[in-house]
Amino acid sequence: MPAISIDTFFACSLMVLLVLSAMATTSKLLYPQINNAIDEALSERYREISKYLLLNEGSPSNWGQNGQIIPENFGLAKADSENPYELDIDKVSRLNSENIYAISYAKIFTALKLSDVSFRMEIKPVFDVIINLTATFVKANDATYQFEISTKKSGIPIQTKLKCYVIAENYLEASPFHTSNGENNVNITIPNDVNGPAILVALAKAVCDSRIMSYGVYAFAHNSINPKPKSTFLKLSPLNYTLTTSFVYPEMNLSKAYALNINYYSLLEQISNGNQSLTYNLPNFVDPSPTIIVVTGCNSTNFFAEWTVYPHIPLKIGANFAGLDALSNVFTYNYIVSINSAIYECTIWLGGPKQ
Amino acid sequence: MRSQNKGQIRIIEAFLAVLVIFSSFTIFSNLTVTRSVEKSGDLASIGLQALMKLDSNGNLGKFIDSKNWTALRDALDIVLPPSVCFNLTAYDETMNQVNDYAISNGALNSQEVAFVEYVCASQGVVFHCYIIYLHLAVAK
Repeated sequence: MPAISIDTFFACSLMVLLVLSAMATTSKLLYPQINNAIDEALSERYREISKYLLLNEGSPSNWGQNGQIIPENFGLAKADSENPYELDIDKVSRLNSENIYAISYAKIFTALKLSDVSFRMEIKPVFDVIINLTATFVKANDATYQFEISTKKSGIPIQTKLKCYVIAENYLEASPFHTSNGENNVNITIPNDVNGPAILVALAKAVCDSRIMSYGVYAFAHNSINPKPKSTFLKLSPLNYTLTTSFVYPEMNLSKAYALNINYYSLLEQISNGNQSLTYNLPNFVDPSPTIIVVTGCNSTNFFAEWTVYPHIPLKIGANFAGLDALSNVFTYNYIVSINSAIYECTIWLGGPKQ
Repeated sequence: MRSQNKGQIRIIEAFLAVLVIFSSFTIFSNLTVTRSVEKSGDLASIGLQALMKLDSNGNLGKFIDSKNWTALRDALDIVLPPSVCFNLTAYDETMNQVNDYAISNGALNSQEVAFVEYVCASQGVVFHCYIIYLHLAVAK
C-alpha cells in the first residue's frame, strides 16, 4: 500500500472522529444553553406571577374580611394600600388551614386562573423566638420556672426587646421589657394557689427596628397535669377583628379570653354565644405587632388555655414540590412583606410541567 | 514527491480543523457567563424591597441622619436572607459619602454582585436627601 493512501486514510479517520466529537460536544454545550434560555423565560413569567399574588388585591377586594366569600380573582394585597408588598391581615389569615374560614388550595388554584402553574406559599416572622424550660423551683407558696428564651435568625442571635406574659386560671402577669442579645434567661414565679396548665407568651421586637417582630408560646404544667397539644379543646379562628371559638367537645365553659400585644393587653369582650361556638371582639392595637389571643376555660373539671395569633402566621399553603424536581420546573422567590406594619418573610414556590 | 506529500498536508489540515473547532468551543463556553449575571436581578429585587420596607416609616432616613450605622447594618442583616452579603454606602445630595465606615456584613466574594440605587429623604425637621448604593452577593 502506498504511503499516500495510509496518510489519506489516517487523515480521513481523524476528520470523521473530529466531526463526531464536534457533534457530541456541540449538543452537550448547546443543551443547557437552550434549556437555560427556556428557564430564563419561565423564571421571568413565574416571578411576575409571584409579584401579582402579593401586589394585587384580588376581587372582590374585601374577600378576606368575610369568611363566606370565595375570591373570583386571587390576590393578597391590602386594598388601597400606599406601600407595595403590604398584605391584608384577613386575606393572609384565611390561608391558614387552622382557621375555620380558611380557603382551600383548590379554590385558590381556580381563582388564580392559571391551569399550568402550581404554587406553594410560606409566610413567617423574620426571626424565631425559641423557648425552653430549663429549671423549676417549687417553694411553699409559689413555684419559680426558669426559661431560656432565644431570638435567632438561621442560628444567628438577634438583639431584641422581649416582653413576657404568663396566663393561668384567673391569672395574668406581664413582665417588664428585657433586652436580649439573642439569649435570655427569664424567671417566672406563679403562686401555688393558681391552677394551670400555664402559658408563657414571649413577644420580641428587634432593637434596630420595632416593626421586625416575632413571638413564641410555651405551655407548661403548674399545679396541673401536662398541657394537651394545641387545639385539643377549642379551634380559634381570628378574622376581621372577631375571634370565633369553636368547641371540640360539648359541655365546655369558657372563662377569660385575652389579647396580648407587645405593649398592651386587654380582656376580650364576648359578642355572641352560639350552640358550639362563641365570638369575641378583637381590639385593633395601633402597634405593629402580632396579637396573641389566649382563651381559657374548663372541660368538666380540667382547666385549659388555648391560643392563636392574629394575623394567623406562620402559615404554609399549596402544592408539595418535594421530590418533583425531575418532573417540573420549580422556582423560588423571596419577598419582604408587611402586615399591619409588622415585617414578615414570604417565600413563594411556583412550578409547572417540565417543558 | 508532491503527490506523496498530499496525505501529510491533509493531516495538517485535520489538525488545523481541530484547532479551529476547539477554539470556537472555548469562546462559546465563555459566553455562558452572561447568563449568571442576569440572575443577580433576584438579589437586586430583594435588596430594593429591604430598603423600601426600612424606608416605609422613615427609619432609613432616621438611621442616616443620626449616623446610626450599627442599627442600619443590623436591620439589613435581619431583613435580608441569611446567605446574602451586602455593602451599603450612603451619599448626600452632592455625592459626598456620609458613612464614615463600611456598612457591611462580610466581603462580597462572588462573581455575581447585584447593585441597587435608592433615593431616600429624611423625615426630620431639616430636609435631607440621601442616595444609597447597595451591593449584594450570595455568600460562598
